[in-house]
Amino acid sequence: MRLAGRTALITGAARGLGRAVAVAFAREGADLALLDIAADLPGVPYPLGSASQLACTADLCREAGAGVLTGTVDVRDLAQVEQAVAEAVGRFGELDVLVTNAGIAAPSGRAAHEITEREWQLMIDVDLSGAWRTIRAVGGRMAERGSGSIINIASTAGLVGYRHFAGYVAAKHGIIGLTKAVALDYAPRRVRVNALCPGSVRDDPRVEGRMLAEIARSLDVPVAEHEETFVQAQPMNTLIEPDDVAGAALWLASDESRQVTGSVLTVDGGFTAR
Amino acid sequence: MTPSFTQPGFARIVGVDTPESALCHALAVRLTEDVDAEALRHRFDTAVRRWWPGPADRTPTLWSEAVPSARGTPLARHRLRTEMHRPVSRTGPVLRAVVLTYADASRDLVLTGHRGTLDPPSLRVLAEVLTGRRSPDPLTAQPLPAEVTATPRRTPSGGRRVEWGMGDAQAGDRTDVFRLPLGAAAGDPLTSLSAAAVVVLSRYEGREVVRTGRVRSPASRASEALGAFDEVAVLTVDLSRVRSNEDLLDSLSTSPDVSPQDTAERRPDVGVLEVAAAAGEADIPAELPCQSALFPLTLVLAPGADGTTDVEVRHQVRHVGAAAARAYAECVALVHRQLTERPDGLVRDLDLLDAEAGARQLALGLAPESAPPRPRRIDALFDEWAERHPGAVALRRGDAALTYGQLRERADLVAAGLRLRGVRPGDHVGICLDRSLDLVVTMLAVLKADAVYVPMDPSHPPQRRAHIVRDAGLRVVVSDLPDFPGGDGSVLGVAELVRAGGAGGPAVPRRGPGDAAYVIYTSGSTGRPKGVEVPHRNVTGLVAATRDDFALHPDDTWTLFHSSAFDFSVWEIWGALLTGATLVVVPYDVSRSPTEFHELLVRERVTVLNQTPSAFGQLMEADRRSAAPLAVRLVVFGGEPLDTRVLLGWFDRYPEDRCRLVNMFGITETTVHATAQTVTRREALAGTRSVGRALPGWRLYVLDPQGRPVPTGVTGEIWVGGAGVASGYLGLPELTAERFQPDPFLEGRRYRSGDLGRFRPDGSLEHLGRLDDQVKVRGFRVELDEIRNVLLDDRAVRAAAVLVSGDALKDAATVRIDAYVVLDGQDTEAVRRRASRILPEYMVPTTLTALDALPLTGNGKLDPDRLPAPATPASPPKATAGKPAGLSGDLAEVWESVLGVSVGLDDNFFALGGNSLYAVRIGSAMRERGLPALSMRQLYLTPTVRALAADLDQQRS
Repeated sequence: MRLAGRTALITGAARGLGRAVAVAFAREGADLALLDIAADLPGVPYPLGSASQLACTADLCREAGAGVLTGTVDVRDLAQVEQAVAEAVGRFGELDVLVTNAGIAAPSGRAAHEITEREWQLMIDVDLSGAWRTIRAVGGRMAERGSGSIINIASTAGLVGYRHFAGYVAAKHGIIGLTKAVALDYAPRRVRVNALCPGSVRDDPRVEGRMLAEIARSLDVPVAEHEETFVQAQPMNTLIEPDDVAGAALWLASDESRQVTGSVLTVDGGFTAR
Repeated sequence: MTPSFTQPGFARIVGVDTPESALCHALAVRLTEDVDAEALRHRFDTAVRRWWPGPADRTPTLWSEAVPSARGTPLARHRLRTEMHRPVSRTGPVLRAVVLTYADASRDLVLTGHRGTLDPPSLRVLAEVLTGRRSPDPLTAQPLPAEVTATPRRTPSGGRRVEWGMGDAQAGDRTDVFRLPLGAAAGDPLTSLSAAAVVVLSRYEGREVVRTGRVRSPASRASEALGAFDEVAVLTVDLSRVRSNEDLLDSLSTSPDVSPQDTAERRPDVGVLEVAAAAGEADIPAELPCQSALFPLTLVLAPGADGTTDVEVRHQVRHVGAAAARAYAECVALVHRQLTERPDGLVRDLDLLDAEAGARQLALGLAPESAPPRPRRIDALFDEWAERHPGAVALRRGDAALTYGQLRERADLVAAGLRLRGVRPGDHVGICLDRSLDLVVTMLAVLKADAVYVPMDPSHPPQRRAHIVRDAGLRVVVSDLPDFPGGDGSVLGVAELVRAGGAGGPAVPRRGPGDAAYVIYTSGSTGRPKGVEVPHRNVTGLVAATRDDFALHPDDTWTLFHSSAFDFSVWEIWGALLTGATLVVVPYDVSRSPTEFHELLVRERVTVLNQTPSAFGQLMEADRRSAAPLAVRLVVFGGEPLDTRVLLGWFDRYPEDRCRLVNMFGITETTVHATAQTVTRREALAGTRSVGRALPGWRLYVLDPQGRPVPTGVTGEIWVGGAGVASGYLGLPELTAERFQPDPFLEGRRYRSGDLGRFRPDGSLEHLGRLDDQVKVRGFRVELDEIRNVLLDDRAVRAAAVLVSGDALKDAATVRIDAYVVLDGQDTEAVRRRASRILPEYMVPTTLTALDALPLTGNGKLDPDRLPAPATPASPPKATAGKPAGLSGDLAEVWESVLGVSVGLDDNFFALGGNSLYAVRIGSAMRERGLPALSMRQLYLTPTVRALAADLDQQRS
């Protein structure tokens, strides 16, 4: 098992990519601290992960053999993040892997000048600053110990623009900048920091993903039509499956990638290759 | 004898590459139905409040984990095992307590702690309190240390190799575990286990003074206390000071003298621990003394079945591989049994291998298919070829050539001439001829005259030849040298003998194949050259042993490259002529010029080439410069150790299916070769030191100084028995009896080589240099080959030689390691810096001298006498001129007086040739001058005058 004896902390773990990554890690022997806001957020026009969904991810991981600790955390609040990390350390000892996955896709769907100050702040606060806060709470411990792997879930929106998604695209570009800078901060201490950029991931009901649906809704187009647009735009003409992303995360978490840091790994079927 | 103990604390006994899990331990207790969950939680909260009221982030929590599977299922066992093997954070809560609740409602309580804050008895007491079987009232807890015992930071490639460990560098942090029954223990079981471990280590490392780690609960530990009370000791035992097994056990059971002065040189490779609890759930023990392994090889004393004792072996696979760990543990178990059963036995009589293991070990040294070759005479076998194809070319040198028929005819004439000159069967006949057709003719003729040839090299000094003439009692010497030093006998030219032989001579019945064919003089490292007497059948046996494997064939063309006084030439000459092949005689000046030799190989389409590695290195250079490809299909290396790594470039030009490379280990006393190892790219990449398995008919032994076989992977002295063993040293019956001893396992005798080696599990032999080369530097055993290998690993180093100088007996601190390197650009300081990252301090060369090429002897081996005086110890440019004032000035003066070199403020102590002995002297010189006290550690941490002075100043103020 590639992660036997390791502990991973994953934010946004209630559903979607967070759940897919958590279960993949559990299958490879990791124990897991699973964090999620497990509540809706004012200003986000769709329901976020729920406590029930988080418990479901935890159960799936336990059935795969993992020891699991769950925590309810709003990544906009540093104190909450630090508290959850301290608890995870008490339960599991040191953390080996951090996956900063918590993020929101909307409010979106408007041109830059139509975004409100509050909407802009909310998007940056969750998608970019949230990742930084989690790194802040975990990175020092990893550096002190001289090992660790941090995986920031960015997006192809961290590499190219998407019309009417200025806040999201800016935040995800920020994640890539954050990744590269922190990679240099920690490289001497053998802590690796990498960004993972999924393309359009299919809303797999098993992980209760709803990213594509929410993007489609922001753009006011039917989901099927939106999916079709992406499939057409992608050189491999398929949507990405959550397990494809989890596999890449697993590689970045494991020692197989031990010389990989500051890198940006795309799992997008070639979308950004042209 | 009192062994010295040091109590360095955990941080000092674990290596820099040890994971946290080495210091964490765990206890699992099955909760019975009467243990109420609420009551458990209540007791936990009370205990925590009472004992660890401290900061919230260090206060333990009782965790509970639902396991969606019944007890005993693979998933449930996986969870329990994972829970017990997870380290706690050094800076987190002092304890982790987890209740695992399985799907069948049964429960386990798992307690995990760090041995630096809570010892194993503390966990046991806590478990009793939490399950309500013990009152918490009389218990007290140690205050938490401000800083938990630091585990050293992980470094990606730290850690010293365990010499005998055969570890797997790719294994990462993996720890493997197995158990062996240890039997009944007499007295304190940890003491007898420690004693057994010490004895095995001493034999494994081939030295009397060994260090092992030991961790145990002291007898004085109060049973009501919670905290860290482990007694962590490094036992330094000098086995030369104990006689009986009882003495050894006594010396180890005395309470430790805690000496603050730890050498801090390195962590012990082997250590012992105890664990008290009974066996647990199926294959999961109820108590884990350490989650991984505290030492590279950790022996844990554990309760076995029926009141007996087991040893649980935990080994860091990176350092100690599975086979080595098991072999070591089996030795420990056997020694342990002898220690307890025979207290009055002698320590040196303890056996590491029982009869069965010993037999297995002896079988390793035997070639797989080993029918002894039929004994033959060299000349008889040659005559068969001459009969079979008289027209085939036997010898060629330039334009001159002799067919097999012509060679036989001319040799018969010379033989008749020799007989007419009074040479009788068994007489020694000297041959001192240039490399010519007549050299080979004369050798064959001497054999045909039923005499023994004694080759002498015309380029050797006359004194040496005179010694041989006297020593071998030569009445006849065949030589063309006008000034050959005569003894009582006569010096004859070949032409003269041919003329005389023309008259014909009486044919004599020849003696048997067991009688001597030649005497070759070897120059040992000490004393005068000794004549080694080798019978016919050894040579024919060597050819028989290799013919099929090497596909030796009449179509082959060999060279006679080496001096006839070097026994490699025996193989060249008779390997060719006893397989019907053509032998090309290489003139001396051509053999000295790699370019001309290469041209000869191309021109003569030579297919079988024999070279020393040093000479082959030069030939490879010539081959790189030449466009003409060689026809060589077989290269045999001999004469000196082969560094396989330099062969990679050769394989690019001559792939393995076109030219086979074979490394052969051998000694004049066992007839040229004894083993064969085919070298391919894979061996070269691995840098193998294997010289292969014994040749069919030969037999290898690796023995300890008492003549007992040593286990696989353990270094011992190589003995060679079987078909190649020579008759002995000429005129030296005592030395012969000492070096050639009866072989208890084969007919005949075996030869004590004075070479070091070890068996690998497949029976191949690793050759590790000469016993004489094994030197001690300040008490540490140093293998010069190992240093040389590290230097050669450096990309900038093309060739390297390492020597030791100084007199260990007079003054151990003056012992110096001098290295010579041939560099590819770059400077020696960079090479030194890189080597010092890999080698322990005492093995880093004191001097490093760059040369354009290493000097070689006439035989193509390294010539240490022609190495220049070493460069002065590397010293970076001085930071300041003139003597500074104050403490740093005093310090510099002390350093200069002790080290005997000029010292700049920023010169590194070690770069100036400093070592631990000098460090002690500096300490006492400073005391004498009334300067501040200096600890070893301080000097090691601040190894420059400037830094040290600043440090000491700070302490004073």
